[in-house]
Amino acid sequence: MATNNGAQFNRHPEPTFSSDQLVFTSDEKSAMQGYLEMYPEPEGAIMRGLWLAQEKFGFLPPEVIRLVADELGIPYARAYGVATFYTQYFKQKKGTYVLDVCTCFSCQVCGGYDILHYLEDKLGIKAGETSEDGLFTIQEAECLGACGSAPMLQITNGRYVHNLTESKVDSLVSDLKDGKMPAFESVTLPQDETEMGGNRRDDVESLEYYKTPPVAETFE
Amino acid sequence: MATVTIDNKQYEFEGRPLLLQFCTDRGIEIPHFCYHPSMSVPANCRQCLVKAGTPAVDRATRQPKLDEEGNPVIQYFPKLMTSCSMEITDGMVVHTHRSSELVERAQKDNLEFLLVNHPLDCPICDQAGHCPLQIQAYKYGPEGSRFEFEKVHKPKHIKLGPRVMLDGERCINCTRCTRFTAEVSGSHQLTIIERGVNNFPMTPPGVEFDEPYSMNVIDICPVGALTSIDFRFKARIWEMSSAPSITATNAKGSNCFYWVKNNEVLKITARQNTEVNDYWLPDEDREGYQRFNDDRPHGPSGKTDGGMRPMSWEESYAAAVDVLETADPARVLFVGSPHATVEDNYLLSKLAGHLGADTPVYLEHTVPGSGDNWLITDDKTPNASGCERLGFNAADVPLLRSKIQAGGYDVIYVLEDDPVSSGLFDSNVDAKVILHYYNTTNATLAAASVAFPAAMIVETVGTYVNVDGHAQRVRPAKAVKGVNRTLQMEMGKSRLDQHGTPFDKWYDETKLVDCKPGWEIIPEVAKGLGLELSYRGPKQIMEEVSTALPSFTGATYESMGLVGVRLSDTPTLV
Amino acid sequence: MEVAKQGTSKAGNWRDYERVLLPKVKNLHKLEVYEENGGYQALKAVLTEEKWTPKAVTDEVKASGLRGRGGAGFNAGLKWSFMPPVDDKPRYLCCNGDESEPGTFKDRQLLEYNPHLVIEGILIACYAMSITTCYLYIRGEFADWITHIEHELEKAYAKGYVGKNIMGTGFSTDVVIHKGAGAYICGEETSLMNSLEGKRAYPRIKPPFPAQKGCWNYPTTINNVETLACAPLIINKGAEWYSAIGAPTHPGPVLYGISGHVNRPGVYEFPTGMLITDLINEVAGGMRGGKKLKAVIPGGSSTPPLRADMIDGVTMDADSLRTAGSMMGTGGMLVLDETVDMVTWLKRVSHFYHHESCGQCTPCREGTGWLEDIVGRIDRGEGNVRDLDLLADLCTQMEGRTVCALADAAAWPVRYTIERFRDEFVAKCKPTLTPAGSPLTVDA
Repeated sequence: MATNNGAQFNRHPEPTFSSDQLVFTSDEKSAMQGYLEMYPEPEGAIMRGLWLAQEKFGFLPPEVIRLVADELGIPYARAYGVATFYTQYFKQKKGTYVLDVCTCFSCQVCGGYDILHYLEDKLGIKAGETSEDGLFTIQEAECLGACGSAPMLQITNGRYVHNLTESKVDSLVSDLKDGKMPAFESVTLPQDETEMGGNRRDDVESLEYYKTPPVAETFE
Repeated sequence: MATVTIDNKQYEFEGRPLLLQFCTDRGIEIPHFCYHPSMSVPANCRQCLVKAGTPAVDRATRQPKLDEEGNPVIQYFPKLMTSCSMEITDGMVVHTHRSSELVERAQKDNLEFLLVNHPLDCPICDQAGHCPLQIQAYKYGPEGSRFEFEKVHKPKHIKLGPRVMLDGERCINCTRCTRFTAEVSGSHQLTIIERGVNNFPMTPPGVEFDEPYSMNVIDICPVGALTSIDFRFKARIWEMSSAPSITATNAKGSNCFYWVKNNEVLKITARQNTEVNDYWLPDEDREGYQRFNDDRPHGPSGKTDGGMRPMSWEESYAAAVDVLETADPARVLFVGSPHATVEDNYLLSKLAGHLGADTPVYLEHTVPGSGDNWLITDDKTPNASGCERLGFNAADVPLLRSKIQAGGYDVIYVLEDDPVSSGLFDSNVDAKVILHYYNTTNATLAAASVAFPAAMIVETVGTYVNVDGHAQRVRPAKAVKGVNRTLQMEMGKSRLDQHGTPFDKWYDETKLVDCKPGWEIIPEVAKGLGLELSYRGPKQIMEEVSTALPSFTGATYESMGLVGVRLSDTPTLV
Repeated sequence: MEVAKQGTSKAGNWRDYERVLLPKVKNLHKLEVYEENGGYQALKAVLTEEKWTPKAVTDEVKASGLRGRGGAGFNAGLKWSFMPPVDDKPRYLCCNGDESEPGTFKDRQLLEYNPHLVIEGILIACYAMSITTCYLYIRGEFADWITHIEHELEKAYAKGYVGKNIMGTGFSTDVVIHKGAGAYICGEETSLMNSLEGKRAYPRIKPPFPAQKGCWNYPTTINNVETLACAPLIINKGAEWYSAIGAPTHPGPVLYGISGHVNRPGVYEFPTGMLITDLINEVAGGMRGGKKLKAVIPGGSSTPPLRADMIDGVTMDADSLRTAGSMMGTGGMLVLDETVDMVTWLKRVSHFYHHESCGQCTPCREGTGWLEDIVGRIDRGEGNVRDLDLLADLCTQMEGRTVCALADAAAWPVRYTIERFRDEFVAKCKPTLTPAGSPLTVDA
């Protein structure tokens, strides 16, 4: 969440994007039109609209939020209030890869902080910071709903990476530096493993299994 | 009739009223912050909790359960209920903090939470003294706080727009301001941003909170989070007196309070009148208060051979009589005023009639297209409707101007207006001008032979009729120089301040304006011309108007009271 | 603390249990495989067979005893029956896949491995309540799974199972997937509706209940993903079959999500009414590294933790867990071993609620942070024993005093962790001159 220090609070920040950049393509516009049709009132389309804009611009500075509001025909203030409510909408520019390390609840007791600190040391930044090359941002995340495969992290609001170990983090970081996003991991149900001899899907590249969680070194 | 029992006392009710409003209407105070009768009910402050229950019903028989004594068994809701959002049903039993220790405790608990992150800077806060949080914390809150951590920091001293200042830390997130812009004004300039304890109201970046009704959020903010940039630090609330009246900025006659310290109006706030302006006031109604304080004249003046010179009131009356008694009535033009009261205009028309001159005309001051069909009208005067009902016609300015230029009039008597600025005639006009005026900036002064400083809306007693035919009284908010028993008595009645005293405790003589209301000046002039207008004050004048003129039927001071009366649409008959 | 001795497993012969929510079928997530295995037959039945009037469907679900799997455990059929009589106004179903309660990870797996069961359940519910639009709300973090379901939903549309004139019966229902964006509160049903409407996701006051005034002020029912997935099973096999599974007062198959210090965590499908000890020791393969059990949080972070000595004979159903001093919640169970410092653990839980409080209501907005502050102070060794009383006081000041149950959910872990692990908290407080709890207690 943004710090709200009064002295630093800037109500009229310089826009990041120029008016030339602040346009939606016709495909994007028709996607927006599609969102509008999904709901009886245009306001319902705000969240989808913000998602689309974040994927396009990387984050949601005020001028982008206004662009979405205008495109959907809803009040800018309404869109801005919504955008600041949700943690997945980035109001500030982040690294190319935002690593959301879960440290909540099950992950807390299964080494989530070990992974967080390992990453912090490895990338030389603290949670909440972005690496100098602009490649990585590390964030401490609340429960991501993958408690059985703790510790885990999510990459830039997308891929989940389960059962993290230091070596898995090492290869993840080096893959990401090479621009390689890890494949979707389908986490096999223990009962499937027993009764079906493994994962039930044959259309996934990468399989994971529920494993005995590591012993947490740090516990905060 | 359906009944509800509140603190062991039974009340009858109709429909499905909300409990908090029902109690408020009956003087049963329940502390609250977020509830506002003109907006949606979010029940978010959680301050108005009560214990409530309904008669238990036997599931098998569907009959009310009765105890051994035959009284209905009350089944209480498992949780305390927010009275703001709860509809009353027949047989409901309610316990407020007056009859339930649990409720008393819950209200105390909630105030402890509200004060956790609220800066305790009341000594430097503009809201102190009339702050719902401060008042209710004293009445219902805990003695101290058990919070021993650093408070959450948020932006302070933020100019949200040209008129409204935000202190984010003082905000208690009642959302009244954001609901106002979303539901009432529709400007959508404010929203709550962030989440949880970091929440506060803000404009989205790049947007100024400059809508024409922005200052209403200051009125409804229950803490000092939103304050007036103009008024900040000018006076403490307990140093001021307030008088219930109406605004004179336009023809809506929105109800307001004039706040006065040391005989100067320092701010204007909204006063509820569901018939006129509900709880709201446009910013333009609040902004022009300086004209009540600045550029005010010091007594009457008159033209002699040596030019304009100050005169005593007696001298000025005599000078006006001099001008009028020798004139040919057909060549005397009376200009009434949509700024002046019905009473003053009525007296002017009596004087005109006495002399045998035509019925007065009045000057229109409209800015076409500036109105919003709400509280801002195209007409920028408060009493054009009153003039019309008195049978005055709006002056056809070009036509009348050419007649004046052609030397058609010897005397022009102007009540509380500025015809030179309106282009009716020029300052070198070849007629004698008698002028009642408010401010020394009045361009007609240069043309005047006799100039009477007139009491303004904040200094007089009288009646105005708004654009919808709503007749309303004005009351004096500040004193004028000299002795006027009517004004002084009215002042004593109208200017009760928040602490129950009618006196401006911070008053000294230096700020008194030497002016008089029209209902004092015109009878003096009339007397010199042989007409006795010996009313015991404007109240009696209005009694006569309301009986004599069908267009004012019912507009007595008693019936107008604090909220006014709606006059019938009877065509004007004089 | 009194140890509640309870009964034996209500899950019957669970070791031979055959799964129904996630049956033993390879690639069941694919529409064609789902069809081959009797998929959409329940939907076809209710749409074509005369006996299945909307009311009959609702009654069948009611009779099955199916209770909501999202946390509150309300009878699903009864909830459906609260919808007002049909008129010409819109009505909505919301399928709640916001799954954000810490310790809960079963809906995600159900949506991945058996999405059509969920979609079919949605359609049956829509038919039962005469609803023509369902919003499937999935938390934004589940981006990959949203893509997955969108893909499968498209196929279902193409096959005429969803959309206009379903299977030529004249019944039409749209399913719209709504993507969240990171807010725990959206799992609360009225907050979810505000989120759909494009408002800040503040919960709404009740009454009016969603069945009266829900999405866009029209009648609305909100059910959890797993709850709706049970509907086709009930139609296919009957209410009687369903109600005979597991605990009689809380029947049916349930997805247990077991995490924490066990050898084999994961999502397991078993009947309700499983002994907690069976789940830990057999199903999840026992405690990791042979360590001793310290605590079990049976149904997500909001449910009060049970001390190891409190779980004997306790089964996973509402009644047994209530007697034991906790709740079924989402069935997402966290197992903690003896190494866990309960103060540190509680501090992180309190941080979660502080972070996720929407900020609408005073007690929750101000209380959640205060709780975290105090627990944090104790965790750092800077607390006083009287802080424990203050925490209990603050919990009382929060519980039941807000629009939604987040304040309760934040208060319960604090209240019950302190109550049940008081010694650990006292040990971390600054020493006092007189015994804890004495009115003469003075800070040293």
